[in-house]
Amino acid sequence: MYPSVSGNIQKYVVHRIGMPSRDRSFVPPCQATCPLHMDIREYVDLVAQGRIMEALQVIRGGNPFPSICAYICTHPCEESCRRSQVDKPIAIRALKRFALEFGGDRMIQVEARTAHSEKVAIVGSGPAGMACAYYLRNFGYPVTIFEAHSELGGMLRVGIPRYRLPRDVLDVEIQRLTRMGVEIRTNTRVVSLDLLFDMGYKAVFVTIGAHQSLRMGIEGEDSPGVIDGATFLREVNLGLKPSLGDNVAVVGGGNVALDAARTVLRLGARKVTILYRRSQAEMPADPAEVEQALEEGVHIQFLVMPTRIKRQDGKLNMTCIRMELGEPDASGRRRPVPVEGSEFNEEFDTLISAIGQAPQTPGDFRVRIGRGSTIQVDPATLSTNRRGVFAGGDAVTGPATVVEALAAGRLAASRIDDYLQHRYPSLDKGGRETLVGDLLPETVEMIRKIGRIEAPLLPAEARIKEFEPIELVYDWEAAVNEARRCLRCGMGAEILFQDKCATCLTCLRVCPYHVPYLDTMGTIQIPADQCQACGVCIAECPAKAIVLRKPYDRRHVTEELDHVLKSASESKVSPLIIGFCCQYGLFGTGTLANLWRVAKAGIWIVPVLCIAKVEADHLLRAFEIGAEGVFVAGCGEQCARENTVAWVHNRVQKARKVLSEIGLEPNRLQTYVPSATNAYPAEWLDGFVEQIGGLYLASVIMKEVKVDSR
Amino acid sequence: MANALFEEKLHSDEFLVTTEIGPPKGVDVSEMIHHIDILKDKVDAINVTDHQSSVMRFPSLGGCLLVKECGGEPILQMTCRDRNRLALQADLLLAYSRSIVNVLCLTGDSIDVGDHKEAKPVFDSDSVQLLKMIRTLESGKDVSGNDLKGVPKFCLGASVHPEADLIEPQLIKFEKKVAAGAQFFQTQGIFDLASLRRFMQYASQFDIKILAGIIVLASARMAKYMNDNVPGIIVPEAIIDELASVEKGKGLQKGIEIAAKLIRTIKEENLSHGIHIMAVGNESVVPDILEAAEVEVARH
Amino acid sequence: MIVAEQKPLPEIRRMISPYERVLILGCGTCMTVCDAGGEREVSFLHNALRVAQSKGGNEAHHFLESTLKRQCEPEFLEMLVDKVGEVDVILSLGCGIGVQAIAERFPDTPVLPGVNTSFMGISSEQGVWDERCAACGDCRLEDTAGICPVTRCTKGILNGPCAGTKNGKCEANKDMDCAWVLIYKRLERLGQLEKMRRYYPMRNFRAIPRPKRLVRTPVALGEDDG
Repeated sequence: MYPSVSGNIQKYVVHRIGMPSRDRSFVPPCQATCPLHMDIREYVDLVAQGRIMEALQVIRGGNPFPSICAYICTHPCEESCRRSQVDKPIAIRALKRFALEFGGDRMIQVEARTAHSEKVAIVGSGPAGMACAYYLRNFGYPVTIFEAHSELGGMLRVGIPRYRLPRDVLDVEIQRLTRMGVEIRTNTRVVSLDLLFDMGYKAVFVTIGAHQSLRMGIEGEDSPGVIDGATFLREVNLGLKPSLGDNVAVVGGGNVALDAARTVLRLGARKVTILYRRSQAEMPADPAEVEQALEEGVHIQFLVMPTRIKRQDGKLNMTCIRMELGEPDASGRRRPVPVEGSEFNEEFDTLISAIGQAPQTPGDFRVRIGRGSTIQVDPATLSTNRRGVFAGGDAVTGPATVVEALAAGRLAASRIDDYLQHRYPSLDKGGRETLVGDLLPETVEMIRKIGRIEAPLLPAEARIKEFEPIELVYDWEAAVNEARRCLRCGMGAEILFQDKCATCLTCLRVCPYHVPYLDTMGTIQIPADQCQACGVCIAECPAKAIVLRKPYDRRHVTEELDHVLKSASESKVSPLIIGFCCQYGLFGTGTLANLWRVAKAGIWIVPVLCIAKVEADHLLRAFEIGAEGVFVAGCGEQCARENTVAWVHNRVQKARKVLSEIGLEPNRLQTYVPSATNAYPAEWLDGFVEQIGGLYLASVIMKEVKVDSR
Repeated sequence: MANALFEEKLHSDEFLVTTEIGPPKGVDVSEMIHHIDILKDKVDAINVTDHQSSVMRFPSLGGCLLVKECGGEPILQMTCRDRNRLALQADLLLAYSRSIVNVLCLTGDSIDVGDHKEAKPVFDSDSVQLLKMIRTLESGKDVSGNDLKGVPKFCLGASVHPEADLIEPQLIKFEKKVAAGAQFFQTQGIFDLASLRRFMQYASQFDIKILAGIIVLASARMAKYMNDNVPGIIVPEAIIDELASVEKGKGLQKGIEIAAKLIRTIKEENLSHGIHIMAVGNESVVPDILEAAEVEVARH
Repeated sequence: MIVAEQKPLPEIRRMISPYERVLILGCGTCMTVCDAGGEREVSFLHNALRVAQSKGGNEAHHFLESTLKRQCEPEFLEMLVDKVGEVDVILSLGCGIGVQAIAERFPDTPVLPGVNTSFMGISSEQGVWDERCAACGDCRLEDTAGICPVTRCTKGILNGPCAGTKNGKCEANKDMDCAWVLIYKRLERLGQLEKMRRYYPMRNFRAIPRPKRLVRTPVALGEDDG
């Protein structure tokens, strides 16, 4: 009938690719926005699973000084978090702090060995300098940090108030640097780079920060009683206690202005007023901090600008003018315009001007200076116009964030390494694609709304009495529950094997979020920007054509099962019982924690990332490897999804049918979900164990009877 | 062969009475013969059911032969469920040769309601096509157009369901049966005289006879069972309640009363051309019903 | 689409019992879509058979798994040549067509049906399939408002409903719609009730002499232009 088809076969053969080991997930917005590109999604998920030590490892892998970021990061990741399209963004910074505290970050030792002879000098010990030193040391270079002040840390030391960043946190990180073998020279102001090269340094990283306050440019600015913000904070942070009087004004709307105002309160001033020339919406300071400052009693006058200062009778008489907002300027914010004839006078004891800072680079450095007194560099390599001289941090960008400085330090270390090894700079070629696109309203509708859990704060009255850190750490349960809100952007399901897909529409019909759709070509699409990675379609796909985008997720249940198989075969305790338990419910939230604790010898728990990912195959495999009883335990009401357990019930029924068909009692396979009538997992497990024990005993007796009767 | 007695009666103005007998499951036909004996003179014709409710029994054609032997007037119920067009035509030839000429053409109950659920449902034709098939035989040809040796002649009936909950498609089919050659109709069991009245108002335009189906209920339980399991039967709640109201063992008596009252009203109000009593296993009470309803068939 | 149901495990175990090396062969088309014999079901059956074996069965089978895109095409079956040499029997989770295609291609290897091929139909919701076409070879959907009485009426009758219809449902199954009620309602909606009033003669079963073969004759060159 078909005489000669075999000759054509090669054309038809589609070589099946095996399960890929590559990470096919998209870079989520949080990671894409983070200057350090930290794998936030990963460590948040690990916190959600209660795997805090591993979360800490991921954090440390992406950030040289995570404990600093845990306190003061401006968390651009949270601004880009897609969860805010559902309710509120994930509290990423607070979760990081939790992971560090509970994971025992302080105990972690970092070691480094010298592998190269080229010495590198780092001028400035702010976050950029410290990060650069950290990575260069890791690469094996001898590194020396030169610091003009008596202590390391740059702005972290002299700019950020202690209530935001406790100094012991900073000290721990600095100790690590010392232990790694970084040479530190404090009280050493570098005035010439030539000298450093003469001393044998082969490369220099200039990271001198932006410590020079900008002037307001008004009459009386140099009167006694007027002080600039950077100087004020530096003095306080270095242990001085400037006398301020009772009534203090701070001019400016950025974080330095806020820090100064709140520091003033803590020093005991009766009244602090921030004068800002635009409105609250335009304030560059972190809104949460503005909120906290207001709580603590800081007054803010918006749309006000000082025009003249006059010192009279030991007080400052300040003339101000009211402003209104005009057209947007280059920064996109509306430009403040003075309202004619609206001048008024106010009296203060002290005025702190915090309207901005700029770098001040010694002329002998002979590096090219650009706009705003910043050092000009090639942004890809951070190299300056001088050979072997690199620059980064606020000295290059003007006042910016800690995390940006850390990123600059890390980049500088790589580029200096390239330079010293005579490599063409290994420019970022871009890896995985970044997830773009908002959640559709239909998707948002199907996502369970769970409010953001904020880390607790000290009450405002207690805060202003001292310089203690004001934010407290999550407890375990709050952290896990907060982490579980993560939408796992970009790591969802994809149809990896299009040739296997029979377009049966199962995925489209089972998806709890109505994500898959048929395109106009009749092909199923699972848009990555909508998928919530619940895994239901993967377990249901009759062609096994769908996989999760992350390799670990693909293998997870199977690997855990294999692990149990190995351990159980060594233990030889009978009867063997295997439980597939929700990893999210197993630890922090405590729903199933009891199960974990009471699990006796003979009971092996396979932690799964939501029981919706347990396939009927897995259940049968557990029996095949010798389990006498198998159970699936879900976290019930605490699940981030609706109705997960319905899917499990279907698969359990299917496997039970097989059990009864081969003569095993179907009740050897059970599902447990905490409910009002069945709230105690431990109690339930005891019952199950007893039941399986009985069945096991009966089967042993039956075997003996059979043997006897032979 | 002379025109059948029953067909002659169809052309008269007599109030017609038919009833039906279900043949036994087995070869002991003595009870059936007993029923034929007590019924043959009380009614105008006796239907013999064709594996009613798809339960395998002694065949309809065999039952008709017994009616004939006993001197009664049989109506051969013929369904399309079990025989293809060859078997149906062959049985019709045999029937005619034995003077069985009244045929009630039915589609037949679904196999699924019977006791041989795994059997192959044939349904090579439906009731309308069966009527046509028989009229074709009367033209001297089989359905494939081949000549017949000797030409049969039949009196054809069909069924109609005036109480169907969606009546319009039933009426369309009824008209198709009329057009295909049905001369008389025995209706499904009637309980609601209003729907019978509405149906008759419509059906009187056709030159056919309508025999209202009367089901004899023996208990409330039986009525409920029939509602749930017997195709096309709808016993109203009021009647079930009435049956349930009597003491145990008196159900059949009550059923007889209900049936008799229905028949009396139908006859008095001239709601149909006759009646068809379905006693479903209680064939022996049919004379009592007729007596209670004061209906007597004309003697010839 | 062809719809089938996997055979009960005991029946499959009985069928494979004489053979040691068994190739469980899935089909990537209809059997995948109806969840009876796609790659997932192949894997599930494989696991089920292994559990059966480990839990006290006396069998000692070796199983191989494979899923072809379609079992009913000889080109796809060619891909099996090497595997078939390694096994004693093929347990096909393809429909009846697939099983027979395998039997034709591999004359020396027994092939067993792992599913009961049921009908051609559609999936009305996840996990539910309904028969829609009987492949009678004589389509009359034009007259019945696109609803097939041959398939969807248990009696397959052509001239209207029987008297067994109640509440729009079939006498054979109270959950099943009466096809003729559906046809009536749709014809009424379309204003085409005259189609139902027409007499439809008995079906022509010669339209499908079994087994049927369909030969699409190519149009001879030039025939078109007359």
